[in-house]
Amino acid sequence: MERRGGGHFRGARGRGGGKMAAPLELRCWGGGWGLPSVHSESLVVLAYAKFSGAPLKVSVIDNTWRGSRGDVPVLTSEDNTVSQPAKILNFLRKQKYNADYHLSAKQGADTLAYIALLEEKLLPAVLHTFWVENDNYFTVTKPWFASRIPFPLSLILPGRMSKRALNRILLTKGEPPLFHLKEVEAQIYRDAKECLNLLSDRLGTSQFFFGDTPTTLDAYVFGFLAPLYKVRFPKVQLQEHLKQLSNLCRFCDDILSCYFRLSFSGDSYIKAGKSNASEDISYKGLGTME
Amino acid sequence: MSLVAEALVSQVAATEPWPEDATLYQQLKGEQILLSDNAASLAVQAFLQMCELPIKVVCRANAEYMSPSGKVPFIHVGNQVVSELGPIVQFVKAKGHSLSDGLDEVQKAEMKAYMELVNNMLLTAELYLQWCDEATVGEITHSRYGFPYPWPLNHILAYQKQWEVKRKMKAIGWGNKTLDQVLEDVDQCCQALSQRLGTQPYFFNKQPTELDALVFGHLFTILTTQLTNDELSEKVKNYSNLLAFCRRIEQNYFGENGKGRIPLRLA
Repeated sequence: MERRGGGHFRGARGRGGGKMAAPLELRCWGGGWGLPSVHSESLVVLAYAKFSGAPLKVSVIDNTWRGSRGDVPVLTSEDNTVSQPAKILNFLRKQKYNADYHLSAKQGADTLAYIALLEEKLLPAVLHTFWVENDNYFTVTKPWFASRIPFPLSLILPGRMSKRALNRILLTKGEPPLFHLKEVEAQIYRDAKECLNLLSDRLGTSQFFFGDTPTTLDAYVFGFLAPLYKVRFPKVQLQEHLKQLSNLCRFCDDILSCYFRLSFSGDSYIKAGKSNASEDISYKGLGTME
Repeated sequence: MSLVAEALVSQVAATEPWPEDATLYQQLKGEQILLSDNAASLAVQAFLQMCELPIKVVCRANAEYMSPSGKVPFIHVGNQVVSELGPIVQFVKAKGHSLSDGLDEVQKAEMKAYMELVNNMLLTAELYLQWCDEATVGEITHSRYGFPYPWPLNHILAYQKQWEVKRKMKAIGWGNKTLDQVLEDVDQCCQALSQRLGTQPYFFNKQPTELDALVFGHLFTILTTQLTNDELSEKVKNYSNLLAFCRRIEQNYFGENGKGRIPLRLA
């Protein structure tokens, strides 16, 4: 694969082995419970980078980082800063890290359609499970994120993220006649369960969605499903439903074991295997993914 | 609606056959209706034509407020009122008519995914163009939306609706998009639809399904609506198989052979 640096080629930059390697650095939320990241969007980018072979230097956000957390995940190369998973994936493709090169035109179209399905039907329920459901939010999500944000922002930011999630759910799904949050909740969980069933039907018995090699769609599905599958929550109705769809669980486990095996310091990986909801996985520092 | 209410509606729906006087309500065609509402209404009309169920279209200025969910179109069948394509498809299915029975599980999953793609990209782009693009808002949308109301109500309602739509756009991440980016998304969506359709007559080969109705509703409306500029319809016109698809459905279901009662012309 020919590697092209973004922007102008400056001869004075150091290079190794005859290839120009502009370092690509990804800032994202860290991992826990066996996952490289618990944040869906960060996980999508990490998975795609693994699938396409992009050399990413992953910096996990901890409470010493001073940048804005609103845009995470964010990819910086020499002179470009890209945020949002769709744009980051586009950028990686332009740098010739393309996981979809073997797909036909129709399969490319299917990818777009299934991603839309995930965003419309599954995302509201995932947001609800993480950020709106009170038991989950106060016992798991808020402490986890607050431990990675410096005081006093740790008092404000998780609340703001939660509000944003609730807003999104209500504005897109909470139209009449669903006047109560309870009814909206019932509707979005129903949609999410149907979406999971559809994904399971589509995956069938194959290893990935389009044959034997993983593609963009696999990255998106993994990014949305894996946190739902692995993070230990008190209120778990969607997780229970997911666990009944064994081919989707197998899909997540396969990707974790093939692509994310022991890339991080063995310490936190082993710790993350324990199923203790109140445990604080404090993973700090840099990990290099090749 | 809640599970119990839905089950009840299905049960009641199943007991009665489709009446002759079923009506579809939408806003006033010439002066009031907007691009996105017209697309939705046309999609439902196309779907009912494909199921060969008779429907009469009635235009009312307050259709949006009459609708149980606040969205047009809605149909009044017997003593039930159902709005929006999704619930209407389920309602019609409860009465024993369905276009997607012949599909297997994987195809049904694909159909639902493509319908979400159209809603996610095309519908959102239409809403963006109508309510967030200042030129279109000033010239077309405000005057059309407020048409049936006296001053100052027409301005107030239009601004209120604009604020609502802008809030929604911001929540889903479209708030910062420029018009060019939105048109790019439309192009991407049309490309995906065109690639999926290929050389087949309908999306699932020989028989049309609700996906065909939905795509027809949106594309036909985009192609035949006069906006401040033609960029949106140009994006669709790039794909000849989509144009042929629209013509085919127009001829088969709305043509002069008398099946449809709505005269439409493809410019």
